[in-house]
Amino acid sequence: MNKDNIKQIVLDIIAEIAPDEDLSEVKSDIRLREQLDLDSMDFLDIVMELRKQHGIDVPEAEYRQLESLDSSANYLLPKFESGATA
Amino acid sequence: MPKTSKASNHYDVIIIGAGLAGLSSAVRLGMFGLKVLILEKHYVVGGLNSFYAKGGRKFDVGLHALTNFPSESSGKSSPLLKLCRQLRIPLDSLNLLEQSSSRISFGEIDLCFNNDFEYFLSEVEKVFPREKDRFQKLLSKMVEFPAYSVDAKEISTREILGQELGDGLLAEMLLCPTCYYGSARANDIDFPTFIMLFDAIFKQGLARPDRGIRALLDPLTDKLKALGVERRMNSPVKSIQADQVQVSEVILENGESFTSDHFISTCGGLETEKLLCLPDTPKSFDLGRFSIIESISVFDGHPRDFGWDETVIFFNKSDEFLYDQPVQLVDLNSGVICLPDNYGSKDSSEKKESKLRVTHPANFKLWSELSEEKYQKEKYLWEDVILQNGLKYLPLGEAKSELFKNRTQLTDTFTPRTIKRFTSHENGALYGSPTKKRDGSTKFSNLFIAGTDQGYVGIVGAMLGGIAVANNQILRNL
Repeated sequence: MNKDNIKQIVLDIIAEIAPDEDLSEVKSDIRLREQLDLDSMDFLDIVMELRKQHGIDVPEAEYRQLESLDSSANYLLPKFESGATA
Repeated sequence: MPKTSKASNHYDVIIIGAGLAGLSSAVRLGMFGLKVLILEKHYVVGGLNSFYAKGGRKFDVGLHALTNFPSESSGKSSPLLKLCRQLRIPLDSLNLLEQSSSRISFGEIDLCFNNDFEYFLSEVEKVFPREKDRFQKLLSKMVEFPAYSVDAKEISTREILGQELGDGLLAEMLLCPTCYYGSARANDIDFPTFIMLFDAIFKQGLARPDRGIRALLDPLTDKLKALGVERRMNSPVKSIQADQVQVSEVILENGESFTSDHFISTCGGLETEKLLCLPDTPKSFDLGRFSIIESISVFDGHPRDFGWDETVIFFNKSDEFLYDQPVQLVDLNSGVICLPDNYGSKDSSEKKESKLRVTHPANFKLWSELSEEKYQKEKYLWEDVILQNGLKYLPLGEAKSELFKNRTQLTDTFTPRTIKRFTSHENGALYGSPTKKRDGSTKFSNLFIAGTDQGYVGIVGAMLGGIAVANNQILRNL
Protein backbone atom coordinates (compact mmCIF):
# COMPACT_ATOMS: atom_id res chain seq x y z
CA MET A 1 0.00 0.00 0.00
CA ASN A 2 1.37 3.39 -0.96
CA LYS A 3 0.00 6.91 -1.22
CA ASP A 4 -0.95 6.53 -4.88
CA ASN A 5 -2.99 3.43 -4.07
CA ILE A 6 -4.83 5.38 -1.41
CA LYS A 7 -5.54 8.30 -3.73
CA GLN A 8 -7.01 5.84 -6.18
CA ILE A 9 -9.14 4.25 -3.45
CA VAL A 10 -10.54 7.68 -2.53
CA LEU A 11 -11.17 8.52 -6.20
CA ASP A 12 -12.96 5.22 -6.73
CA ILE A 13 -15.20 5.97 -3.77
CA ILE A 14 -15.99 9.44 -5.12
CA ALA A 15 -16.84 7.90 -8.50
CA GLU A 16 -19.26 5.59 -6.75
CA ILE A 17 -21.04 8.22 -4.65
CA ALA A 18 -21.01 11.03 -7.23
CA PRO A 19 -21.21 9.33 -10.64
CA ASP A 20 -22.07 12.63 -12.32
CA GLU A 21 -18.71 14.25 -11.44
CA ASP A 22 -15.83 14.27 -13.94
CA LEU A 23 -12.78 12.98 -12.04
CA SER A 24 -10.29 12.94 -14.90
CA GLU A 25 -8.70 16.29 -14.03
CA VAL A 26 -8.69 16.15 -10.24
CA LYS A 27 -5.49 17.60 -8.78
CA SER A 28 -4.00 15.98 -5.68
CA ASP A 29 -2.90 19.13 -3.91
CA ILE A 30 -6.09 21.16 -4.28
CA ARG A 31 -9.08 20.80 -1.98
CA LEU A 32 -11.66 18.42 -3.46
CA ARG A 33 -14.48 20.86 -2.72
CA GLU A 34 -12.83 23.46 -4.93
CA GLN A 35 -12.68 21.10 -7.88
CA LEU A 36 -15.84 19.07 -7.48
CA ASP A 37 -19.42 19.66 -6.41
CA LEU A 38 -19.11 17.86 -3.05
CA ASP A 39 -20.73 18.83 0.24
CA SER A 40 -20.55 17.59 3.82
CA MET A 41 -23.02 14.79 3.04
CA ASP A 42 -20.67 13.51 0.34
CA PHE A 43 -17.69 13.58 2.70
CA LEU A 44 -19.70 11.53 5.18
CA ASP A 45 -20.15 8.97 2.40
CA ILE A 46 -16.42 8.86 1.72
CA VAL A 47 -15.85 8.15 5.43
CA MET A 48 -18.61 5.52 5.50
CA GLU A 49 -17.25 3.75 2.41
CA LEU A 50 -13.73 3.69 3.90
CA ARG A 51 -15.23 2.03 6.94
CA LYS A 52 -17.36 -0.44 4.98
CA GLN A 53 -14.83 -1.36 2.28
CA HIS A 54 -11.56 -1.15 4.23
CA GLY A 55 -12.50 -1.25 7.92
CA ILE A 56 -10.97 2.18 8.53
CA ASP A 57 -12.48 4.51 11.11
CA VAL A 58 -12.28 8.26 10.66
CA PRO A 59 -13.58 10.13 13.73
CA GLU A 60 -15.81 13.08 12.92
CA ALA A 61 -13.27 15.57 14.25
CA GLU A 62 -10.81 14.34 11.62
CA TYR A 63 -13.07 14.49 8.54
CA ARG A 64 -11.20 17.56 7.37
CA GLN A 65 -8.06 15.46 6.91
CA LEU A 66 -9.78 14.23 3.75
CA GLU A 67 -10.03 17.67 2.14
CA SER A 68 -7.61 16.87 -0.72
CA LEU A 69 -6.23 13.65 -2.23
CA ASP A 70 -2.75 14.46 -0.82
CA SER A 71 -4.03 15.11 2.69
CA SER A 72 -6.17 11.96 2.47
CA ALA A 73 -3.15 9.85 1.46
CA ASN A 74 -1.00 11.28 4.26
CA TYR A 75 -3.71 10.77 6.84
CA LEU A 76 -4.92 7.34 5.71
CA LEU A 77 -1.58 5.64 4.94
CA PRO A 78 -0.74 4.79 8.58
CA LYS A 79 -4.29 3.59 9.08
CA PHE A 80 -4.09 1.28 6.06
CA GLU A 81 -0.64 0.04 7.17
CA SER A 82 -1.66 -0.70 10.74
CA GLY A 83 -4.75 -2.47 9.42
CA ALA A 84 -2.63 -4.66 7.12
CA THR A 85 -0.27 -5.75 9.89
CA ALA A 86 -3.01 -6.26 12.48
CA MET B 1 -26.22 -21.57 13.51
CA PRO B 2 -28.60 -21.14 16.46
CA LYS B 3 -29.11 -17.59 17.65
CA THR B 4 -30.72 -16.58 20.88
CA SER B 5 -34.15 -15.04 20.47
CA LYS B 6 -32.84 -11.81 21.88
CA ALA B 7 -30.14 -11.52 19.25
CA SER B 8 -32.43 -12.22 16.31
CA ASN B 9 -34.94 -9.67 17.59
CA HIS B 10 -32.25 -7.07 18.24
CA TYR B 11 -31.45 -4.41 15.66
CA ASP B 12 -29.07 -1.52 15.19
CA VAL B 13 -31.99 0.69 14.18
CA ILE B 14 -35.77 0.25 14.24
CA ILE B 15 -37.74 2.63 12.04
CA ILE B 16 -41.45 3.20 12.63
CA GLY B 17 -43.20 4.05 9.36
CA ALA B 18 -42.49 3.15 5.74
CA GLY B 19 -43.22 6.59 4.31
CA LEU B 20 -40.66 8.48 2.29
CA ALA B 21 -38.71 9.61 5.37
CA GLY B 22 -38.59 6.10 6.87
CA LEU B 23 -37.63 4.42 3.59
CA SER B 24 -34.94 7.01 2.86
CA SER B 25 -33.32 6.75 6.27
CA ALA B 26 -33.46 2.94 6.01
CA VAL B 27 -31.62 3.02 2.67
CA ARG B 28 -28.88 5.20 4.17
CA LEU B 29 -28.45 2.99 7.22
CA GLY B 30 -28.67 -0.28 5.32
CA MET B 31 -26.16 0.98 2.76
CA PHE B 32 -23.46 1.07 5.43
CA GLY B 33 -24.21 -2.32 6.89
CA LEU B 34 -26.51 -1.57 9.81
CA LYS B 35 -29.14 -4.10 10.81
CA VAL B 36 -32.43 -2.27 10.23
CA LEU B 37 -36.09 -3.15 10.78
CA ILE B 38 -38.96 -1.06 9.36
CA LEU B 39 -42.38 -1.38 10.98
CA GLU B 40 -45.39 -0.16 8.99
CA LYS B 41 -49.00 -0.38 10.08
CA HIS B 42 -50.43 -0.05 6.57
CA TYR B 43 -50.20 -2.73 3.88
CA VAL B 44 -48.55 -0.40 1.33
CA VAL B 45 -45.47 1.78 1.58
CA GLY B 46 -45.39 5.54 1.02
CA GLY B 47 -47.34 7.04 3.95
CA LEU B 48 -48.99 10.24 2.74
CA ASN B 49 -47.41 9.68 -0.66
CA SER B 50 -48.86 6.29 -1.28
CA PHE B 51 -50.99 4.80 -4.02
CA TYR B 52 -54.07 2.65 -4.43
CA ALA B 53 -56.11 0.99 -7.17
CA LYS B 54 -59.78 1.51 -7.89
CA GLY B 55 -61.83 0.48 -10.90
CA GLY B 56 -58.72 -0.94 -12.57
CA ARG B 57 -56.91 2.43 -12.36
CA LYS B 58 -53.96 3.38 -10.24
CA PHE B 59 -54.12 6.51 -8.09
CA ASP B 60 -51.44 8.42 -6.23
CA VAL B 61 -52.57 9.69 -2.83
CA GLY B 62 -50.40 12.72 -2.19
CA LEU B 63 -48.42 13.53 -5.27
CA HIS B 64 -49.60 16.71 -7.01
CA ALA B 65 -46.11 17.72 -7.85
CA LEU B 66 -42.56 16.86 -7.14
CA THR B 67 -41.12 20.27 -6.29
CA ASN B 68 -37.45 21.34 -6.56
CA PHE B 69 -37.17 20.41 -10.23
CA PRO B 70 -33.56 21.24 -11.15
CA SER B 71 -34.57 23.77 -13.81
CA GLU B 72 -32.06 25.61 -15.95
CA SER B 73 -32.36 28.96 -14.18
CA SER B 74 -31.59 27.89 -10.60
CA GLY B 75 -31.68 24.12 -10.54
CA LYS B 76 -28.05 23.36 -9.69
CA SER B 77 -28.73 24.05 -6.02
CA SER B 78 -31.80 21.83 -5.96
CA PRO B 79 -31.97 19.51 -2.94
CA LEU B 80 -33.45 16.91 -5.30
CA LEU B 81 -29.97 16.40 -6.77
CA LYS B 82 -28.56 15.94 -3.27
CA LEU B 83 -31.07 13.34 -2.29
CA CYS B 84 -30.64 11.35 -5.51
CA ARG B 85 -26.92 11.23 -4.82
CA GLN B 86 -27.37 10.24 -1.17
CA LEU B 87 -29.75 7.43 -2.07
CA ARG B 88 -27.79 6.52 -5.21
CA ILE B 89 -30.86 6.76 -7.39
CA PRO B 90 -29.99 8.44 -10.69
CA LEU B 91 -32.17 11.52 -11.32
CA ASP B 92 -32.66 10.35 -14.93
CA SER B 93 -34.29 7.14 -13.72
CA LEU B 94 -37.23 9.16 -12.38
CA ASN B 95 -38.13 10.34 -15.92
CA LEU B 96 -39.30 13.67 -14.61
CA LEU B 97 -41.89 15.46 -16.72
CA GLU B 98 -41.99 19.24 -16.26
CA GLN B 99 -45.16 21.21 -15.63
CA SER B 100 -46.68 23.12 -18.55
CA SER B 101 -47.58 26.25 -16.62
CA SER B 102 -49.46 26.90 -13.42
CA ARG B 103 -51.48 29.73 -11.93
CA ILE B 104 -52.44 31.45 -8.70
CA SER B 105 -55.97 32.76 -9.19
CA PHE B 106 -57.56 35.28 -6.78
CA GLY B 107 -60.92 36.56 -7.99
CA GLU B 108 -60.17 38.31 -11.26
CA ILE B 109 -56.41 38.47 -10.69
CA ASP B 110 -54.05 35.78 -12.02
CA LEU B 111 -50.35 35.20 -11.45
CA CYS B 112 -48.88 32.57 -13.77
CA PHE B 113 -45.64 30.66 -13.33
CA ASN B 114 -43.68 27.86 -14.92
CA ASN B 115 -40.22 26.36 -14.34
CA ASP B 116 -38.49 29.56 -15.48
CA PHE B 117 -38.23 31.85 -12.45
CA GLU B 118 -37.73 34.91 -14.68
CA TYR B 119 -41.22 34.36 -16.08
CA PHE B 120 -42.72 34.45 -12.58
CA LEU B 121 -40.80 37.67 -11.83
CA SER B 122 -42.17 39.24 -15.02
CA GLU B 123 -45.70 38.16 -14.04
CA VAL B 124 -45.37 39.78 -10.60
CA GLU B 125 -44.08 42.96 -12.26
CA LYS B 126 -46.92 42.97 -14.79
CA VAL B 127 -49.71 42.40 -12.26
CA PHE B 128 -48.18 44.40 -9.39
CA PRO B 129 -46.05 47.11 -11.10
CA ARG B 130 -45.89 49.25 -7.97
CA GLU B 131 -44.50 46.37 -5.95
CA LYS B 132 -41.42 45.84 -8.14
CA ASP B 133 -38.81 47.32 -5.80
CA ARG B 134 -40.40 46.01 -2.63
CA PHE B 135 -40.69 42.50 -4.10
CA GLN B 136 -37.00 42.56 -5.07
CA LYS B 137 -36.15 43.64 -1.54
CA LEU B 138 -38.23 40.78 -0.15
CA LEU B 139 -36.40 38.31 -2.42
CA SER B 140 -33.03 39.56 -1.14
CA LYS B 141 -34.23 39.24 2.44
CA MET B 142 -35.30 35.66 1.72
CA VAL B 143 -31.89 34.80 0.26
CA GLU B 144 -30.13 36.25 3.32
CA PHE B 145 -32.37 34.48 5.83
CA PRO B 146 -30.84 31.18 7.08
CA ALA B 147 -33.97 29.21 6.15
CA TYR B 148 -32.18 25.89 5.72
CA SER B 149 -30.31 25.81 9.02
CA VAL B 150 -31.59 23.51 11.77
CA ASP B 151 -32.21 26.37 14.21
CA ALA B 152 -33.90 28.81 11.79
CA LYS B 153 -36.31 31.12 13.65
CA GLU B 154 -39.93 30.21 12.99
CA ILE B 155 -41.25 33.75 12.61
CA SER B 156 -44.59 34.58 10.98
CA THR B 157 -44.57 35.00 7.21
CA ARG B 158 -47.80 37.02 7.33
CA GLU B 159 -46.08 39.59 9.53
CA ILE B 160 -43.01 39.79 7.31
CA LEU B 161 -44.99 40.09 4.08
CA GLY B 162 -47.15 42.74 5.76
CA GLN B 163 -44.04 44.78 6.56
CA GLU B 164 -42.25 44.25 3.26
CA LEU B 165 -45.02 44.53 0.68
CA GLY B 166 -47.37 47.46 0.02
CA ASP B 167 -50.14 45.51 -1.68
CA GLY B 168 -51.81 42.97 0.59
CA LEU B 169 -53.11 41.00 -2.39
CA LEU B 170 -49.61 40.03 -3.50
CA ALA B 171 -48.89 38.78 0.03
CA GLU B 172 -52.07 36.67 -0.02
CA MET B 173 -51.22 35.26 -3.45
CA LEU B 174 -47.75 34.23 -2.27
CA LEU B 175 -49.14 32.63 0.88
CA CYS B 176 -51.69 30.48 -0.99
CA PRO B 177 -49.41 28.02 -2.85
CA THR B 178 -46.81 27.90 -0.08
CA CYS B 179 -49.38 27.15 2.63
CA TYR B 180 -51.11 24.49 0.53
CA TYR B 181 -47.82 22.73 -0.23
CA GLY B 182 -46.60 22.58 3.32
CA SER B 183 -47.88 24.69 6.19
CA ALA B 184 -48.85 22.94 9.40
CA ARG B 185 -49.81 26.28 10.97
CA ALA B 186 -53.30 27.71 10.79
CA ASN B 187 -53.61 30.72 8.49
CA ASP B 188 -49.88 31.35 8.31
CA ILE B 189 -46.61 29.64 7.49
CA ASP B 190 -43.34 30.04 9.33
CA PHE B 191 -40.81 32.09 7.40
CA PRO B 192 -38.12 29.41 6.89
CA THR B 193 -40.70 26.99 5.49
CA PHE B 194 -42.10 29.75 3.29
CA ILE B 195 -38.62 30.36 1.84
CA MET B 196 -37.98 26.65 1.28
CA LEU B 197 -41.31 26.24 -0.49
CA PHE B 198 -40.91 29.43 -2.51
CA ASP B 199 -37.54 28.14 -3.73
CA ALA B 200 -38.95 24.66 -4.33
CA ILE B 201 -42.01 25.83 -6.29
CA PHE B 202 -40.90 29.02 -8.06
CA LYS B 203 -37.10 29.16 -8.19
CA GLN B 204 -36.68 25.46 -8.96
CA GLY B 205 -39.94 24.07 -10.25
CA LEU B 206 -42.69 21.49 -10.50
CA ALA B 207 -42.35 18.10 -12.15
CA ARG B 208 -43.79 14.62 -11.91
CA PRO B 209 -42.14 11.26 -12.46
CA ASP B 210 -43.80 9.63 -15.48
CA ARG B 211 -44.93 6.67 -13.38
CA GLY B 212 -46.08 8.82 -10.47
CA ILE B 213 -45.01 8.13 -6.90
CA ARG B 214 -44.05 4.53 -7.65
CA ALA B 215 -41.10 5.83 -9.65
CA LEU B 216 -39.68 6.82 -6.25
CA LEU B 217 -41.09 4.09 -4.05
CA ASP B 218 -40.02 1.16 -6.26
CA PRO B 219 -36.28 1.94 -6.35
CA LEU B 220 -36.34 2.56 -2.59
CA THR B 221 -37.99 -0.78 -1.79
CA ASP B 222 -35.78 -2.59 -4.34
CA LYS B 223 -32.70 -1.15 -2.67
CA LEU B 224 -33.91 -2.10 0.78
CA LYS B 225 -34.46 -5.66 -0.36
CA ALA B 226 -30.98 -5.84 -1.90
CA LEU B 227 -29.47 -4.42 1.31
CA GLY B 228 -31.26 -6.99 3.46
CA VAL B 229 -33.31 -4.44 5.39
CA GLU B 230 -36.26 -6.15 7.05
CA ARG B 231 -39.70 -4.65 6.57
CA ARG B 232 -42.89 -5.70 8.31
CA MET B 233 -46.15 -4.47 6.85
CA ASN B 234 -49.53 -4.58 8.67
CA SER B 235 -47.54 -4.21 11.88
CA PRO B 236 -48.90 -1.34 13.96
CA VAL B 237 -46.79 -0.37 16.97
CA LYS B 238 -48.64 -0.42 20.27
CA SER B 239 -46.03 1.16 22.48
CA ILE B 240 -42.45 2.32 22.76
CA GLN B 241 -40.78 1.30 26.03
CA ALA B 242 -38.37 3.75 27.63
CA ASP B 243 -36.73 4.59 30.94
CA GLN B 244 -35.78 8.18 31.86
CA VAL B 245 -33.09 8.56 29.22
CA GLN B 246 -33.30 5.77 26.66
CA VAL B 247 -35.72 3.76 24.60
CA SER B 248 -35.29 -0.01 24.89
CA GLU B 249 -37.93 -1.70 22.76
CA VAL B 250 -41.08 -1.42 20.70
CA ILE B 251 -44.11 -3.61 21.21
CA LEU B 252 -46.50 -4.35 18.35
CA GLU B 253 -50.29 -4.55 18.59
CA ASN B 254 -49.95 -8.32 18.13
CA GLY B 255 -47.70 -8.59 21.19
CA GLU B 256 -44.36 -9.13 19.43
CA SER B 257 -41.49 -7.00 20.69
CA PHE B 258 -38.17 -5.88 19.25
CA THR B 259 -35.14 -4.28 20.88
CA SER B 260 -32.67 -1.96 19.18
CA ASP B 261 -29.77 0.41 19.78
CA HIS B 262 -31.48 3.32 17.98
CA PHE B 263 -35.06 4.17 17.09
CA ILE B 264 -36.44 6.49 14.41
CA SER B 265 -40.14 7.29 14.52
CA THR B 266 -41.78 8.85 11.47
CA CYS B 267 -45.40 8.71 12.67
CA GLY B 268 -45.37 12.28 14.00
CA GLY B 269 -44.08 14.04 17.10
CA LEU B 270 -47.31 13.95 19.07
CA GLU B 271 -48.10 10.42 17.88
CA THR B 272 -44.64 9.25 19.00
CA GLU B 273 -45.16 10.79 22.44
CA LYS B 274 -48.45 8.93 22.65
CA LEU B 275 -46.71 5.61 21.92
CA LEU B 276 -44.23 6.38 24.69
CA CYS B 277 -47.10 6.37 27.22
CA LEU B 278 -45.78 9.15 29.47
CA PRO B 279 -48.95 10.23 31.25
CA ASP B 280 -47.47 12.97 33.44
CA THR B 281 -45.18 14.55 30.85
CA PRO B 282 -46.33 17.74 29.10
CA LYS B 283 -46.64 17.31 25.34
CA SER B 284 -43.85 18.97 23.39
CA PHE B 285 -45.83 19.07 20.12
CA ASP B 286 -49.03 21.02 19.46
CA LEU B 287 -51.94 19.40 17.68
CA GLY B 288 -52.17 20.27 13.97
CA ARG B 289 -55.61 20.91 12.53
CA PHE B 290 -55.26 21.51 8.80
CA SER B 291 -56.71 18.70 6.73
CA ILE B 292 -58.10 18.30 3.23
CA ILE B 293 -60.63 16.61 1.02
CA GLU B 294 -59.73 15.74 -2.55
CA SER B 295 -61.99 14.68 -5.39
CA ILE B 296 -60.52 12.89 -8.38
CA SER B 297 -62.28 12.47 -11.72
CA VAL B 298 -61.00 10.08 -14.37
CA PHE B 299 -62.17 11.21 -17.82
CA ASP B 300 -61.81 10.20 -21.47
CA GLY B 301 -59.22 12.04 -23.50
CA HIS B 302 -56.77 14.79 -22.58
CA PRO B 303 -57.34 18.03 -20.66
CA ARG B 304 -56.30 19.82 -23.86
CA ASP B 305 -59.53 18.55 -25.48
CA PHE B 306 -61.27 20.97 -23.12
CA GLY B 307 -58.75 23.75 -23.65
CA TRP B 308 -57.21 23.17 -20.21
CA ASP B 309 -53.45 23.20 -20.61
CA GLU B 310 -52.29 24.28 -17.15
CA THR B 311 -50.88 21.86 -14.56
CA VAL B 312 -51.69 23.27 -11.10
CA ILE B 313 -54.12 26.07 -10.20
CA PHE B 314 -54.16 27.51 -6.68
CA PHE B 315 -57.43 29.39 -6.37
CA ASN B 316 -59.13 31.68 -3.92
CA LYS B 317 -62.54 33.27 -4.35
CA SER B 318 -61.80 36.61 -2.69
CA ASP B 319 -58.84 38.89 -1.97
CA GLU B 320 -58.28 37.32 1.41
CA PHE B 321 -56.80 33.87 1.78
CA LEU B 322 -58.00 31.85 4.76
CA TYR B 323 -55.98 28.70 5.42
CA ASP B 324 -57.53 26.87 8.34
CA GLN B 325 -59.80 24.10 9.49
CA PRO B 326 -63.21 25.19 8.19
CA VAL B 327 -66.30 25.41 10.42
CA GLN B 328 -68.22 23.22 7.93
CA LEU B 329 -67.19 19.88 6.43
CA VAL B 330 -65.46 21.61 3.50
CA ASP B 331 -64.29 25.16 2.69
CA LEU B 332 -65.07 25.86 -0.96
CA ASN B 333 -63.57 29.37 -0.92
CA SER B 334 -60.12 28.21 -1.82
CA GLY B 335 -58.40 25.12 -3.09
CA VAL B 336 -55.98 23.52 -5.52
CA ILE B 337 -56.65 21.96 -8.91
CA CYS B 338 -54.15 19.57 -10.45
CA LEU B 339 -54.21 18.16 -13.98
CA PRO B 340 -51.37 15.62 -13.70
CA ASP B 341 -51.60 14.73 -17.40
CA ASN B 342 -50.38 18.22 -18.26
CA TYR B 343 -46.92 17.38 -16.93
CA GLY B 344 -44.81 16.82 -20.01
CA SER B 345 -47.92 17.24 -22.11
CA LYS B 346 -46.07 18.72 -25.06
CA ASP B 347 -44.21 15.49 -25.78
CA SER B 348 -46.79 12.94 -24.80
CA SER B 349 -48.80 11.12 -27.39
CA GLU B 350 -52.59 10.74 -27.41
CA LYS B 351 -54.02 10.18 -23.95
CA LYS B 352 -56.83 7.72 -23.62
CA GLU B 353 -57.68 8.77 -20.09
CA SER B 354 -56.73 11.65 -17.79
CA LYS B 355 -57.32 12.82 -14.25
CA LEU B 356 -58.62 15.99 -12.66
CA ARG B 357 -57.93 16.48 -8.96
CA VAL B 358 -59.55 19.18 -6.84
CA THR B 359 -58.50 19.76 -3.22
CA HIS B 360 -60.12 21.86 -0.48
CA PRO B 361 -59.56 22.44 3.25
CA ALA B 362 -61.78 20.11 5.29
CA ASN B 363 -62.69 19.60 8.94
CA PHE B 364 -61.39 16.33 10.38
CA LYS B 365 -63.54 16.35 13.49
CA LEU B 366 -66.79 16.82 11.56
CA TRP B 367 -65.89 14.11 9.03
CA SER B 368 -64.84 11.64 11.70
CA GLU B 369 -68.01 12.10 13.74
CA LEU B 370 -70.26 10.94 10.87
CA SER B 371 -71.76 7.46 10.99
CA GLU B 372 -70.52 5.17 8.22
CA GLU B 373 -73.76 5.59 6.29
CA LYS B 374 -73.75 9.37 6.64
CA TYR B 375 -70.06 9.48 5.77
CA GLN B 376 -70.60 7.70 2.46
CA LYS B 377 -73.55 9.94 1.67
CA GLU B 378 -71.66 13.18 2.42
CA LYS B 379 -68.68 11.99 0.45
CA TYR B 380 -70.90 11.32 -2.55
CA LEU B 381 -72.65 14.71 -2.26
CA TRP B 382 -69.45 16.71 -1.88
CA GLU B 383 -67.80 14.94 -4.79
CA ASP B 384 -70.13 16.69 -7.23
CA VAL B 385 -70.15 20.03 -5.38
CA ILE B 386 -66.34 20.09 -5.38
CA LEU B 387 -66.12 19.26 -9.06
CA GLN B 388 -68.68 21.89 -10.09
CA ASN B 389 -66.94 24.51 -7.97
CA GLY B 390 -63.50 23.56 -9.31
CA LEU B 391 -64.63 23.86 -12.93
CA LYS B 392 -65.22 27.61 -12.33
CA TYR B 393 -61.47 28.07 -12.16
CA LEU B 394 -60.74 26.30 -15.46
CA PRO B 395 -61.06 28.14 -18.78
CA LEU B 396 -64.76 27.98 -19.79
CA GLY B 397 -65.05 25.23 -17.21
CA GLU B 398 -68.65 25.90 -16.24
CA ALA B 399 -69.79 25.85 -19.87
CA LYS B 400 -68.04 22.51 -20.35
CA SER B 401 -69.45 20.95 -17.22
CA GLU B 402 -72.02 18.78 -19.06
CA LEU B 403 -69.46 17.56 -21.61
CA PHE B 404 -66.99 16.80 -18.82
CA LYS B 405 -69.61 14.83 -16.92
CA ASN B 406 -70.40 12.75 -19.98
CA ARG B 407 -66.75 11.93 -20.42
CA THR B 408 -66.18 11.04 -16.77
CA GLN B 409 -65.45 7.36 -16.22
CA LEU B 410 -64.85 7.20 -12.51
CA THR B 411 -64.69 9.48 -9.52
CA ASP B 412 -63.18 9.01 -6.12
CA THR B 413 -62.82 11.20 -3.07
CA PHE B 414 -60.54 11.04 -0.11
CA THR B 415 -61.36 12.83 3.10
CA PRO B 416 -59.52 13.79 6.31
CA ARG B 417 -60.31 10.27 7.50
CA THR B 418 -58.29 8.86 4.61
CA ILE B 419 -55.38 11.17 5.48
CA LYS B 420 -55.44 9.82 9.02
CA ARG B 421 -55.44 6.24 7.75
CA PHE B 422 -52.43 6.78 5.51
CA THR B 423 -50.37 9.04 7.79
CA SER B 424 -51.57 8.12 11.31
CA HIS B 425 -51.48 11.87 12.07
CA GLU B 426 -53.82 12.93 14.87
CA ASN B 427 -56.69 15.05 13.54
CA GLY B 428 -55.86 13.91 9.99
CA ALA B 429 -53.40 16.82 10.02
CA LEU B 430 -51.97 16.89 6.50
CA TYR B 431 -48.65 18.46 7.51
CA GLY B 432 -48.57 17.22 11.10
CA SER B 433 -47.96 19.38 14.14
CA PRO B 434 -47.23 23.13 13.90
CA THR B 435 -44.35 22.39 16.31
CA LYS B 436 -41.33 21.15 14.37
CA LYS B 437 -38.06 19.53 15.41
CA ARG B 438 -35.65 19.99 12.56
CA ASP B 439 -32.78 17.84 13.82
CA GLY B 440 -35.17 15.08 14.95
CA SER B 441 -33.78 14.88 18.49
CA THR B 442 -36.01 13.99 21.44
CA LYS B 443 -35.45 13.88 25.19
CA PHE B 444 -34.38 10.26 24.76
CA SER B 445 -30.80 9.90 23.61
CA ASN B 446 -31.47 7.07 21.14
CA LEU B 447 -34.92 8.09 19.82
CA PHE B 448 -35.30 10.45 16.86
CA ILE B 449 -38.27 11.68 14.92
CA ALA B 450 -38.11 11.99 11.15
CA GLY B 451 -40.48 13.05 8.41
CA THR B 452 -43.33 15.54 8.57
CA ASP B 453 -42.62 16.86 12.06
CA GLN B 454 -39.05 17.74 11.20
CA GLY B 455 -40.61 20.48 9.12
CA TYR B 456 -38.91 19.74 5.81
CA VAL B 457 -42.02 19.54 3.70
CA GLY B 458 -43.08 17.80 0.54
CA ILE B 459 -41.73 14.63 -0.96
CA VAL B 460 -38.23 16.02 -1.32
CA GLY B 461 -38.32 17.42 2.23
CA ALA B 462 -39.51 14.15 3.76
CA MET B 463 -36.75 12.21 2.03
CA LEU B 464 -34.03 14.71 2.93
CA GLY B 465 -35.28 14.79 6.52
CA GLY B 466 -34.99 11.00 6.78
CA ILE B 467 -31.52 11.13 5.26
CA ALA B 468 -30.42 13.91 7.65
CA VAL B 469 -31.53 11.97 10.75
CA ALA B 470 -29.76 8.81 9.54
CA ASN B 471 -26.60 10.78 8.72
CA ASN B 472 -26.34 13.22 11.60
CA GLN B 473 -27.87 11.26 14.47
CA ILE B 474 -26.61 7.76 13.70
CA LEU B 475 -23.95 7.35 10.98
CA ARG B 476 -21.75 10.22 12.17
CA ASN B 477 -21.64 8.75 15.66
CA LEU B 478 -20.77 5.18 14.75
